[in-house]
Amino acid sequence: MRFSVLRILSRQVYRSTIKKRSTLWLIGIFNLMLLFAVVSGYQILTTQQQIVDEYSHQVRHRWEKSPDKHPHRMAHYGYVAFRQKFPLSFFDFGMDSYVGNAVFLEAHRQNTVNFSEASLSNGLLRFGEISAGLILQLLLPLVIFFWGFDLISAERENGTLRILLTQGISWPELIIGKCLGLFSVSLTIFAPVAVISLILLFCNEAISENWQALGYFAILVVAYLVYLLIVSLLAVFVSAKSNTSKSALTKLIGFWLFFTLILPKISLVAGQSLYPSPSKIEFDTAVEQELLALGDSHNPNDPHFKALKDSLLQAYGVDSTHKLPFNYGGYVMREGERLSAETYKRHQTKLVAIYQKQQNVVRLTALCNPFMAIKNLSMALSGTDYATYHDFENQAEAYRYKLAQTMNELQIKLISNPTKGSSGKQAIISQKHWAEFPDFSHHFPTFVHVFQQEKLAIFSLIIWISGLYFLVTLSSKHFKAF
Amino acid sequence: MTGLLIKNFVRSKGLMTGLLLLFLSGLISLNVGKHFLEKNQQIIQQTAHFQQENIDRNVKYVNKEIGLLLYYVRFGLANDTPNLAGLSIGQRDINPAVLSVTIRNLEEQKYTTDLMNPMYQLIGNLDFSFVLIYFFPLIIIAFCFNLISEEKEEGTWSLVLSQAISPLKMLRLKLCIRYVSVLTVLLLLLVIAKFYLAIPVDNAFVAFGLTAILYISFWFSMSWLIVSFHRDSSYNALLLLIVWVLLTIVIPASINAAIVHTYPIPEAFGTVLESREGYHSKWDQPKEPTIQKFQKHYPQFNRYKHPEGQDYSWLWYYAMQQMGDDEAAVHATDLKTKLRKRETASSIIGLFVPTIHTQQNFNHLSQSDMANHLNFIEEVEKFHEQKRLYFYPKIFTDFAIADENWKAFPLAYFQDKVSVSWSSVLIPVFSICVICVVWAGINFRRPLERNVHYQ
Repeated sequence: MRFSVLRILSRQVYRSTIKKRSTLWLIGIFNLMLLFAVVSGYQILTTQQQIVDEYSHQVRHRWEKSPDKHPHRMAHYGYVAFRQKFPLSFFDFGMDSYVGNAVFLEAHRQNTVNFSEASLSNGLLRFGEISAGLILQLLLPLVIFFWGFDLISAERENGTLRILLTQGISWPELIIGKCLGLFSVSLTIFAPVAVISLILLFCNEAISENWQALGYFAILVVAYLVYLLIVSLLAVFVSAKSNTSKSALTKLIGFWLFFTLILPKISLVAGQSLYPSPSKIEFDTAVEQELLALGDSHNPNDPHFKALKDSLLQAYGVDSTHKLPFNYGGYVMREGERLSAETYKRHQTKLVAIYQKQQNVVRLTALCNPFMAIKNLSMALSGTDYATYHDFENQAEAYRYKLAQTMNELQIKLISNPTKGSSGKQAIISQKHWAEFPDFSHHFPTFVHVFQQEKLAIFSLIIWISGLYFLVTLSSKHFKAF
Repeated sequence: MTGLLIKNFVRSKGLMTGLLLLFLSGLISLNVGKHFLEKNQQIIQQTAHFQQENIDRNVKYVNKEIGLLLYYVRFGLANDTPNLAGLSIGQRDINPAVLSVTIRNLEEQKYTTDLMNPMYQLIGNLDFSFVLIYFFPLIIIAFCFNLISEEKEEGTWSLVLSQAISPLKMLRLKLCIRYVSVLTVLLLLLVIAKFYLAIPVDNAFVAFGLTAILYISFWFSMSWLIVSFHRDSSYNALLLLIVWVLLTIVIPASINAAIVHTYPIPEAFGTVLESREGYHSKWDQPKEPTIQKFQKHYPQFNRYKHPEGQDYSWLWYYAMQQMGDDEAAVHATDLKTKLRKRETASSIIGLFVPTIHTQQNFNHLSQSDMANHLNFIEEVEKFHEQKRLYFYPKIFTDFAIADENWKAFPLAYFQDKVSVSWSSVLIPVFSICVICVVWAGINFRRPLERNVHYQ
């Protein structure tokens, strides 16, 4: 393959496409849409960051300013954790609008993460959201197909293809050359938004705590470049394979519809029926029943807690829990919290495993669907995928557990034993203990994590680009010149 | 002529495949709807079952004080799902079908969500409304984009012009055949849906069907309009596809962004903080003001007193719980008002965009829109209040648990009412159809012959 030939061919495609008025219009409209998408996405991001900052600050302030009281009261007072948005989330909204934003963390209970954007929205959200990710993944390929569908078939129809081939240009050179031309036209849409996004990324205050976002952005840009290359190559390849321009266009549009609309939905239906997931009532009941079987800390005759009590009395050589050198109530509560948190976690892990399996059905289609591959990868790198959300859920639950247990420890250590009730003088500890308990802060997953999660997507993009390349170079004999 | 055109249509492999694809995807969507309804029904039945079990167990073990018992006992209210929702799932997969609440403060309970896989919500349901709004137009476009241009491009146009029958009449016939064929598939699917999903034939279902028919009529009139400009096939296809992308993706998404931007909802977080503060801070404050506030809210409970010198009483406890709701009330009302505003704004804008209008009509008729959820939440508030008022006096007088009939609290149901306003259902899309057809008529009035040599 000669570089000079590729350059001539690609430059010819670039110039002839860009010359057209309709192309300029499309490029203009797309750049405007993308500008609007990233700027409004960025606004949403900063507004959300402000709101979360403000409310987290309030939560912390109220926590620290709580008066002296019984630690278990504080455990019930609890905390509210807010989900932060990743600095790159303005680029691809992903699932951000469908997952909750705020969760009330209290002792004994795992609450749901509430107030997703979708729960505050009417049906409009379901038409999709205009984010740079959506435009680049869904709409840009359609435009590339329109620019590229007749790149070779039109030459064939005009009879100029034979002239090209008799001049010693090989089929692979012709296809790759034209593809590079098409790809460079698509860069007039992708490059500006990439630069603007990078600037916006630097503008965001949260970037100083999340430098990894810059690395993610670099990978994201490479991934989109590969994706656009795949789409361009596909357009030219189909154009070369088809007898007429019209059939090339029909095939490409059919391809687009199938991969962007139909296949994801079908794989969803398949995943849903293959791996049914429990409803909240089933889930809660299963947890509750298992907990009842394990032991009820409120029931004085419960075998589990009775055994615990007996062994304690024996170890300390006393005949009543009142004579224990620590607060017995706190001790029981700590045990109860441990049991309930472990049980919940076990069920939660099972549930997430089901979700993962369901998602894997969709994810697996990425192998034959480059659209799904870039969608998953883009979401993961923008911090708007399920893994990132689930990571937040885990952090919130870990924090909740730590809060409840810290309060139980304080009770065990500092509250004298035979007190009744929780508002008497001996049942109260100083508020200085509240400030000692650290604030909740939401961290984002590391690159290894993201890579682990999306290796299939990366793999399938590589398969697609190399597969198409080999198809072009190997099957050149099968193309028709006229 | 008509017979020949029909024969031509039936023999065309592409067109028949198109109809078959529509029909098949329609069947899949009905199955998705059925699955959704069954799952929903199952959730409701399970809740009803577990509620009784939960009450029985608590009554058995927490049998000393009714105040403590009611700390645990949950009462469920189910949002009744009409079978029509199987055709348009809308927001029903986001909002819970049942809310189970204790008589403690409601704010901490009413925003609870069901468990769901967010990836599914992102990709969206393959329900009938999706098939109709996204797939039908594509097939209609494929059927119509080369209505005239195919004759020109295949060289048969001059033949058409030389026939006795007027060319416009022939084009109308061609369009009608396509319209009737797509309409048949649509009606067939609706009939199958009626039996498969056991949908009662009422005003809502009729309005649903008419909305669907108007929607496909809109796409036929739009195609007719584009075709009337006498451009070549690829130009028509491109233009129609752009219209499709704009109407199904770009415009709705932009409007959604605009609405979210216009009505931001920071109140959502506010309600959480206020209700939490309202309740929990009362533990550390003197008891009298809390009880006074409570009795100001409910003067009928004035005669109950907190026992002098006591550290704790159920009156005080539930008064504290009440404060959680009372102090978050402003935020909670603001939140609801904002949500209603979002709903109103989008339905007004929807009047001008057929895709949005159709989707919103569907969701409204099948009670799967936000308005339904808000009505449900308001009903939950009433339900919760009613339970409170019933149990408060019993708690304050320490009513004997054994004397209450605990079988009398099965799962309750909320039945929303749909009002079908025919004019707002039918007029917007119908007028857009008329505009397209009239405009196309003006285009066709120009002499067709002039375009013979156009390629």
